[in-house]
Amino acid sequence: MTQAATKIDPVVTEIIRNGFIAATEEMKTNLMRTAYNMIIYEALDFTVGLFDRDGNTVSIGIGLPMFIRGMSETIKAKIRHFGLAGIEPGDVLLTNDAYITGSHLNHMTFSVPIFADGELLGFAGCMAHWQDIGGMLNGMTRDIYAEGLQMPIVKAWRAGMPNDDILQVIRMNVRMPERAMGDLRAQVAAVKTGEKRFLELVHKYGRDGVQGAIEAIFDHAEAVSRASVREIPDGIYEAESFMDDDGVEQGKRIPIRVKITVAADRMEIDLTEVSEQVQGFYNSGETAGRSAAQVAFKCLTSPLDLPINDGSFRNLAIVLPPGRVVSAQRPAPMRWWMTYPMTIVDTIFKALATAIPTRVIAGHHADLVVANINGRRTQNGDFYVYLGGLIGGGWGAKLGEDGMSATIAINDGDTHNGPSEQVEAKYPLLVERYALRTDSGGAGKNRGGLGTEQVVHAREDIMFNAQVERVDCRPWGLFGGLSGLGNEVELRRDGEAIRFPTGKVLAQHLRKGDVYTLRSGGGGGYGNPLDRKLEDVDRDISQGYVSKEAAHSQYGIAFGADGQIDRAETALLRQTMRKQGLPKDRPFATEDFSACGCARCTIWPTPDAEAEALMRDVAAAGLSRWRCC
Amino acid sequence: MNAPARIAPGVRIAADVGGTFTDVAIFEETTGALRLGKTLTTPARLIEGMGQGVEKAGAAFGAANLFLHGTTVAINALLERKGARTALVTTKGFRDIYEIGRVNRPEAYNLFFRKHRPLIERAFRFEVDERLTAEGDVLRPLDEPELERIAQHFIADRIEAVAILFLHSYRNPAHEIAAQDFFTRRLPGVFVTASHELSQEYREFERTSTVAANAFIGPRVQLYLDETNAFLKDAAFAGKFLIVQSTGGLYDSGQASRECVRMLESGPAAGVIGTRALCAAIKLDNAISFDMGGTTAKAGVILSGVELTAGQVMVGGYAEGLPIQIPMIDIQEVGTGGGSIARVVAGHALRVGPDSAGSVPGPVCYGGGGSEPTVTDANLVLGRLQADLFLGGEMPLDTEGARRVLSARIADPLGLTEAEAADGIVRVAVTQMANVVKRVTTERGLDARDFAMVAYGGAGPLHACLVARELQIGRVIIPNAPGHFSAYGMLVSDLRRDFVRTHFARLAEAPFATFERLFAEMRDRGLAEIKAAKPDIGEIVLTYAADMRYVGQEHAVIVPLSAGLFAAHDSAAIKRAFDAVHVQRYGYASPDEPAEIVSLRLSAIGIIGKPALAEIAQADGALPEAALIARRPVHFGVLGGRIDTPLYRRDGLAAGHAITGPALIQEYASTTVLAPGDRLVVDRFGNLDIALGG
Repeated sequence: MTQAATKIDPVVTEIIRNGFIAATEEMKTNLMRTAYNMIIYEALDFTVGLFDRDGNTVSIGIGLPMFIRGMSETIKAKIRHFGLAGIEPGDVLLTNDAYITGSHLNHMTFSVPIFADGELLGFAGCMAHWQDIGGMLNGMTRDIYAEGLQMPIVKAWRAGMPNDDILQVIRMNVRMPERAMGDLRAQVAAVKTGEKRFLELVHKYGRDGVQGAIEAIFDHAEAVSRASVREIPDGIYEAESFMDDDGVEQGKRIPIRVKITVAADRMEIDLTEVSEQVQGFYNSGETAGRSAAQVAFKCLTSPLDLPINDGSFRNLAIVLPPGRVVSAQRPAPMRWWMTYPMTIVDTIFKALATAIPTRVIAGHHADLVVANINGRRTQNGDFYVYLGGLIGGGWGAKLGEDGMSATIAINDGDTHNGPSEQVEAKYPLLVERYALRTDSGGAGKNRGGLGTEQVVHAREDIMFNAQVERVDCRPWGLFGGLSGLGNEVELRRDGEAIRFPTGKVLAQHLRKGDVYTLRSGGGGGYGNPLDRKLEDVDRDISQGYVSKEAAHSQYGIAFGADGQIDRAETALLRQTMRKQGLPKDRPFATEDFSACGCARCTIWPTPDAEAEALMRDVAAAGLSRWRCC
Repeated sequence: MNAPARIAPGVRIAADVGGTFTDVAIFEETTGALRLGKTLTTPARLIEGMGQGVEKAGAAFGAANLFLHGTTVAINALLERKGARTALVTTKGFRDIYEIGRVNRPEAYNLFFRKHRPLIERAFRFEVDERLTAEGDVLRPLDEPELERIAQHFIADRIEAVAILFLHSYRNPAHEIAAQDFFTRRLPGVFVTASHELSQEYREFERTSTVAANAFIGPRVQLYLDETNAFLKDAAFAGKFLIVQSTGGLYDSGQASRECVRMLESGPAAGVIGTRALCAAIKLDNAISFDMGGTTAKAGVILSGVELTAGQVMVGGYAEGLPIQIPMIDIQEVGTGGGSIARVVAGHALRVGPDSAGSVPGPVCYGGGGSEPTVTDANLVLGRLQADLFLGGEMPLDTEGARRVLSARIADPLGLTEAEAADGIVRVAVTQMANVVKRVTTERGLDARDFAMVAYGGAGPLHACLVARELQIGRVIIPNAPGHFSAYGMLVSDLRRDFVRTHFARLAEAPFATFERLFAEMRDRGLAEIKAAKPDIGEIVLTYAADMRYVGQEHAVIVPLSAGLFAAHDSAAIKRAFDAVHVQRYGYASPDEPAEIVSLRLSAIGIIGKPALAEIAQADGALPEAALIARRPVHFGVLGGRIDTPLYRRDGLAAGHAITGPALIQEYASTTVLAPGDRLVVDRFGNLDIALGG
């Protein structure tokens, strides 16, 4: 190749960069508008992308961040499986192997090779959540086989011809084959759109122009990333946190430990000390562990640099031996895969807090906080399933800024909650309250964001399932900031409230008039709350974000007889509290409960007999409108 | 097209008060003459500025029978957050809905992401015990004594505006009406507004945000309208004063002073209405309206002669914006304009926008202190803008300054020639604008290649042929006075009232009697309000539509339907119409899946006679030598490099003149660029009708 041919044109690069971003946006819109599946349509539980010929990410649509590695790793596995020589134009490659995709079996992952003049130039890919993939409906799975159809790496189309054997296998293994086939067509259409737009760029700017632009995009992202890491002081940074339990051994905390090494412009994230794989369905494949590391890295180094591409990660090494909870081995169950990686991301921020205090945030509520509701309508016997919640929670405080309140957890991005007016029109539910939780944000010089509380009244009998984490292990603060309140699930049966020490409240039958409450945690605080400016505390009190009691006990505020802050007394109180090491952090919810001794707080939920019967009913009826994340 | 209603001949005045300029269009009904004026907007004295603009255009309010007005006063109050001290009254348990919003996080990797910021702080959000069910039944009655307690807080807190939202008020507004009556009586002088007046669609957050915005800007808009009315009275204006809504339709100042949020996007909407009228005049069914100014480019769509509409807009952008849930024209926007700044980032990468030099300091070549190269500077360096002819020569441009900065900041760091760098900046801006056009076409299931592009705004004609080329659009039309096109659009608008009523119902079990009642309520109100705005109105057109979806879906599509289908209880035909819209928009339909109706829509349109476009003189031959100003070198970059190019005066062109590019057509506030191979014909109305080459 001549010198002139290798010269990269910055204008063409920028046009192609815009072209890739627009192409992945169009793929995203295409999938949304062609999928007949609310999880894709509403929760945007999918990602689309374009990849180079080795499977590296060139551009992915910004949907759910935690899908950042799924498609690329899957394409690389497909290349290994077939060999480059075994991939032909017109092939549509498919798998949902959770150990490769790094999520659950619902995520069917399609890709097409992009050829121009017989030469492989790249791939277009799409992973999206199918409503049903078979497997057991309710309760805790204990291995992958209980979770449904596993599709190894196959060609769903060979050189443009559909592979009917594969499609028949799928049809026989899912509960809603027609909808599944609709989603399949939508995904194939999305990857074909990506292929078409990629080739349009090749026709317009030439093969070398596009390849050159891809290299330039990678190089630019790498330069931004290296410059960003170079500003982080060299060193080894470690942190530890805990998950509540694995859903099987209730109450036994699961450790999450990360070690990060920064040397010049390179970073290594070592997840060796993250817990081994667990018994319940909270495991995920290695790709999920790598995604967690990359999401944390991207957030800290170049959050707004687009497109999302693998150039950003050339200076990131990830150490993740097999058999960890985020690199689990067959046959570990993976249905609720997304929960643990969220806390890993937070733990990476925690480890780097001393190194880059300006960029990190304190812990967040780190859970989707959802409930699966189902039942039969009394008036016509119709079976329904409703995914309640997605209520958003508190995010950690940061330097110079309070945390965001009521915002969806890091696993998700542009995911919306459901309007209460809609929920009440569709389901036999009445939302009594959807509000911010006063005092849920961790106290700090900068306060954690507030969690939310949704109180829902059953107008008919319903079945209730929640698998909420981080109830016991609260979102932590940084630099003396306190923990926020954790997530919570509460039931009110026959007027009597039951608050559980866990959020894994599965298969509970609620009668007409009973009430369930989902609470999302607040974010952790940042900096010592005794250093919080009085006017900030005053504003928090007047806005009701912080109660006067908490202002007194956590922020050292003294009030005069007129109810206003007494500045002189406050200074004295704060001085005294500092000497006494107050306020004291309370990182674990269960410690609060054992202190209060309330029996109701220590009831471990078990599925009730009526719920079991209802479940059998549901299994018999099949799924019609089921939705989950 | 409907026959124009008879109106007394006189003068119509349209004034579009924008951020930088106030555009005035005057239409003489007796002679059919259209006159235009442009003055700088004077933020401190908007109304006075408008008066001067009208004077400059040689008209007087005293002789006018219609004054049509678009203004940024509402949108600016919202964006600058300079509104009233506002409080919210809402259903018990829901005061935080406004702050919680939809919990989404569009900037997925940004730890410093910020949500929308409510216009009403939490301390001013009050709850009252009351509750309706989704069916509109009263579960708990309105606690009236509680309202009195809240009123006392309002007095103590010196509240100036009150927004009321109760859950399910779209189904039954009784509690909202009762509370509104109470506060209106109890708090004289306070602006009181309730959500059902603006939106009777479900979605409590979006409705809260809408009514809160209306309250927040209400007192300020009222004051502005009062002052304008007083000014008009002083000016001996005896006609009707009508305001442009975001639908492009008009409403009277009484309605406008209660429903202020309906005028947020009046200027951009009027441009699309102008495009619609132009399409009707030249018999064009489908067009993309492309409006490029100093800071943004906007695109809308005319499909089969009708503008595409949307049910909601996010004011302030998708990520942090506040939703306003009212019908409006579907306009997509990108932060690329003449003032967009070009930069080299991280060593070797070129970026254009979204930062803008705005009008202050402005592009480098304006000489107002701008120090970073912009899209306008790039066009000047390429010779596509003429330093001595800008704004009719009133504003000489600094070519040397633009070249210096462009070389130092872009060309040198990237190792490009000056022309390559300038062309590169324009090409990047053009692809960004092409992508925003795709958002209103491709993403709506439409193929941009099936459309002509109507380009306006100061910078539109400069880039239109390039944007069209990028999208493989074959035809571009530059209307007369593209810099004043929104004011023209106001002149050709109609009175309009839009209503939406949510009523969830399975189509198979459709309660047609209820639908008929809801339509009748909307129809009666629409007719009454149109007549109240203009008692001598001639024809009133009613349009019907329903928001529909498949059972189980969340998102609904708007399905235009005839009233007859409802009268005939023809569920099957309604279903077919829905399936067809679904195919068009989403590429597929599920004829066997059950559908449901979410909301009913009715618009009442009071037809106002339109000024007919005047025809211009016919040319003797095809060659416009008389209009030739000069030949100058212009750089067309990748489209042909530096070419000796003819410059024409637009006002020297006559109908039938034909020009083959490369060429520049100069007019007061705009320049049209014809690339090599493009072929322009002047039509009988004076529009530049361009067929793109290659």
